Amino acid sequence: MIADTLVQTYKVSFDENNQELALSGSMRPEHGAEMEACIQLLERSIASIRGTFYINVKRLVRLNNVAFHALAGALLKAADERPDVRISIVTSSVIGWSTKKFGTLSAKNPRIAVEEYDSEFYPGQSFLEEGGFVPVLRTQTKLTWKHERSILPRHGLTPGATMADICCGIGDFAVLVAKEFAPSRIVALDHSKSSLAYARQVASEFDIGGIEYIYGDAAEMLLEDGQFDFVSCRHALQIFNKPEMIVDELVRICKPGGRVYVTNEKISQCLGEPRGPSIQWTYEQLSKLFADFDMDLEFGPKSYQALQKAGLEDIRIESFMVTNRDGDAQAFADMVMAWEEMFAGGMCEKRGDDAAFVEKFRRGFEDHIAAALHPGGYAGWPVWVASGRKPQ
Amino acid sequence: MNLGAAPKDAGEHAELLEFDMDMDGFASNWAYCDRLSTYFARMISHNRSDSLLYSNLFSSALNELLETVYRLHAPSGRFVCSVARRGASERITLTVPVDAQTADFYRSAVSVLNDGDLASRYHTALFTDGPLQPNIGLLELAVDYAARFSIEPADGNAIRLIADLKLEETEA
Ligand SMILES: C[S@@+](CC[C@H](N)C(=O)[O-])C[C@H]1O[C@@H](n2cnc3c(N)ncnc32)[C@H](O)[C@@H]1O
Repeated sequence: MIADTLVQTYKVSFDENNQELALSGSMRPEHGAEMEACIQLLERSIASIRGTFYINVKRLVRLNNVAFHALAGALLKAADERPDVRISIVTSSVIGWSTKKFGTLSAKNPRIAVEEYDSEFYPGQSFLEEGGFVPVLRTQTKLTWKHERSILPRHGLTPGATMADICCGIGDFAVLVAKEFAPSRIVALDHSKSSLAYARQVASEFDIGGIEYIYGDAAEMLLEDGQFDFVSCRHALQIFNKPEMIVDELVRICKPGGRVYVTNEKISQCLGEPRGPSIQWTYEQLSKLFADFDMDLEFGPKSYQALQKAGLEDIRIESFMVTNRDGDAQAFADMVMAWEEMFAGGMCEKRGDDAAFVEKFRRGFEDHIAAALHPGGYAGWPVWVASGRKPQ
Repeated sequence: MNLGAAPKDAGEHAELLEFDMDMDGFASNWAYCDRLSTYFARMISHNRSDSLLYSNLFSSALNELLETVYRLHAPSGRFVCSVARRGASERITLTVPVDAQTADFYRSAVSVLNDGDLASRYHTALFTDGPLQPNIGLLELAVDYAARFSIEPADGNAIRLIADLKLEETEA
């Protein structure tokens, strides 16, 4: 009976190609003997490999001393018997206890290494997470909210819902949703510690309680299945080289019958007049620049298919255009100014662009700013919204 | 079983949650340790700065205590588990019915926890073959969670085991 429930609480699998044994879930057996099947798989796997044997415990959320004792015994024995093998245990800082706990094994045998997996695994995105990005996100969310507050109900957000905002950045969207829709629970997750620190500070300064800011990797969340009525993920699939991994996770944590909501851009479609051609050239280049860093800022219209492939039903898609005519031309101009700094500054330098390119590239942003502030000008930034329902 | 928020004040600690049940009921199903620690962790963590991280840590710590009690107690009497908060720290209080032998275990386990060199005791215990020492969970809390323990007699044939934990500073 107990063994039965235990079987359901954790998973162990071996992937030969990666020489990786993955343990996940909750391992809290009463007796060491209950670990038998897992230990046998460990022994068989290690017998079949050469070089480095990986043990992935990134999603092993709970482990009692009974289970650890059994695993540790088997690992130390294996390390003794196979001096040709290096054992690498990959933990996650999100779990809290695991790096320290498995770290005790390295002290016993230095051929057992423990590596903590973290945001360094997505080096391409690092500029989007440093301090400089904060003002950009603030202004963007201020501008998109004018549209989204009336769009959200069409995509199934209702007052009192339980919701999660994944890749929440500095958390402004969560705050706005909390005020407007009074969800019964709101979890906001990101893997940028500086953004979360900022979000928590904002929430405490403005005395907005009830938003749970959580550090974690959107592609491998530790949130449980089927918890939320509404799961949003804004402007983030487009900066991830494997967006389908995140979509699957969004679907997983959504309740059956709940909805997954994503927004993305197609940046090459930014526009403005006067000086349309210069603006258009720059945004086409911007799209290529992101592509060179493995990010797809053209993702917006692709989101329909992404949700469809993830098995969602009743998919709805629409787009809106943030413009200088929405009521705050200066904010629009500020946003483009910040883009210019980030992209023509930091990112071009990183790609190694020459001065002539950067100058022409900057000109398009400046023309876009001028269009936004021009008495007769028009400047736009289109955004695609898509959502789908998780089948019952 | 009686499970609910108890808004009374425990000294300077604010009581968050208390659970009590007959010891033989609790000790009838091992899975209660996991379920209770997970339930408590969820309920008390939502207003910590990273609720998921906090709840992982709290659940691990409380589970080890509950597993210890599951194995070592007198057969009947009331088992009470309560959690109180003061600032960044949490106080877990377990009221455990004991007989002479189990009372002895808890008293000497706690006195060991106030001795030096706990880390090496804990690591030795973790890596020794054969059955685990019954105080392994207490050692782990003292070493990995910097828990401070105390023990006092309670009404009836019972002891109160108190663990003070501060989990948030483990966050980077
Ligand atoms: C362009 S920002 C958008 C932020 C926010 N949704 C908004 O609209 O303002 C993308 C965010 O995704 C986060 N992010 C990217 N990859 C992530 C991952 N694997 N796990 C968690 N967060 C991630 C980044 O830290 C960043 O805050």
